Amino acid sequence: MYYIAEISEESCVANKGCRLCIMYCPEANCIMMNDEKKVAYVVESRCKGCELCVVVCDAAKHNAIKMVNR
Amino acid sequence: MGKEKIQINEEFWDIMPEDYRDLVTHATYGKPDRGWKDVGSSTELIAEHSLCAGCPESIAFRHILASIPAPEDTVMVGSTGCTSLVFPMVAIHNIHSLFGNQNAIATGLKRALAVRFPDKNKDVIVLAGDGATVDIGLDMTLQSWFRGERFTTICFDNELYANTGGQESGLMQKGFVAKMAPVGKKFEKVRLPEIARESGCAYVAVLTTSKPSLVERVVRQAVLIAREIGPTYLQIYTPCILEIGKQSMEGLQEMRDAEAAGERFKFREFVTPEAQAFIDDMAAKKKAEKLAATAPSAN
Repeated sequence: MYYIAEISEESCVANKGCRLCIMYCPEANCIMMNDEKKVAYVVESRCKGCELCVVVCDAAKHNAIKMVNR
Repeated sequence: MGKEKIQINEEFWDIMPEDYRDLVTHATYGKPDRGWKDVGSSTELIAEHSLCAGCPESIAFRHILASIPAPEDTVMVGSTGCTSLVFPMVAIHNIHSLFGNQNAIATGLKRALAVRFPDKNKDVIVLAGDGATVDIGLDMTLQSWFRGERFTTICFDNELYANTGGQESGLMQKGFVAKMAPVGKKFEKVRLPEIARESGCAYVAVLTTSKPSLVERVVRQAVLIAREIGPTYLQIYTPCILEIGKQSMEGLQEMRDAEAAGERFKFREFVTPEAQAFIDDMAAKKKAEKLAATAPSAN
């Protein structure tokens, strides 16, 4: 079982230009943009579960990222 | 190296790892205006590294690698420490030096590249921890600045020897008690940025990696000034969350606290008049280019 981040497509505001989680994720190529839907998504195999993306997303009051067990 | 050098022979395309194919098709080699805005929609020049979850050093690595102006013509020199765990996963030419030797190696490398490619700009970037830059390699670091060698030195300052369990380092703040330095530091943090300014660096900056746009501007300037004018030095705060007793998600706040007004990593830069003229000239050229680009579309 892994502890990873999950981004809710409904709450993500990447279409307004938000790139917070992509900027502050310590892992490379881990949180990527879905250019068609204009939302960010997590590449599950690369997430180490540090929760930094949750911190920055919640600080900006978007609340789009939750940690889940897989 | 040009972008064509990383191309795959068509016959082998299907058996190459997916990550390498991504690098060929989606990486930002050869883009003069590359920056952190490309991150997320292009493949980064760093892959799955083995640093701890939430390590601020890996954030710094991502921001720096996204900001280097010409990655295909850059050679990085690393040294022992956590950075040497990352360099095997970096898609830029790099050399691992002996501990503390990195600026001496970079000197030879820069001179050799200037002889071998006289008509090309080849950038050399040294990236090492504070132990390699300030304690063990201080001799090599200072001598390269005295000689005015044209390359960028980046110091990842985590204020202790984190990789070996938390021993005292010259850049540690006074009074700090680490796991393997129980008495506490007796003297002040070494003021290397000021030493760098006095030793002949054309551009010196102290920052944390909490703002990617700032890191991009500073790294770009440092590399371009090193190309044209003289040595440049960046000191970036990358706290070791394990050694200072923080959780994985607290690294960013730690950096923000350390760069508050009056704190030790408040952003500051020392620019020589010559380097300032170069920066102004660069800004003016960029403005003119922007105007030229928008003028036809307005018609």
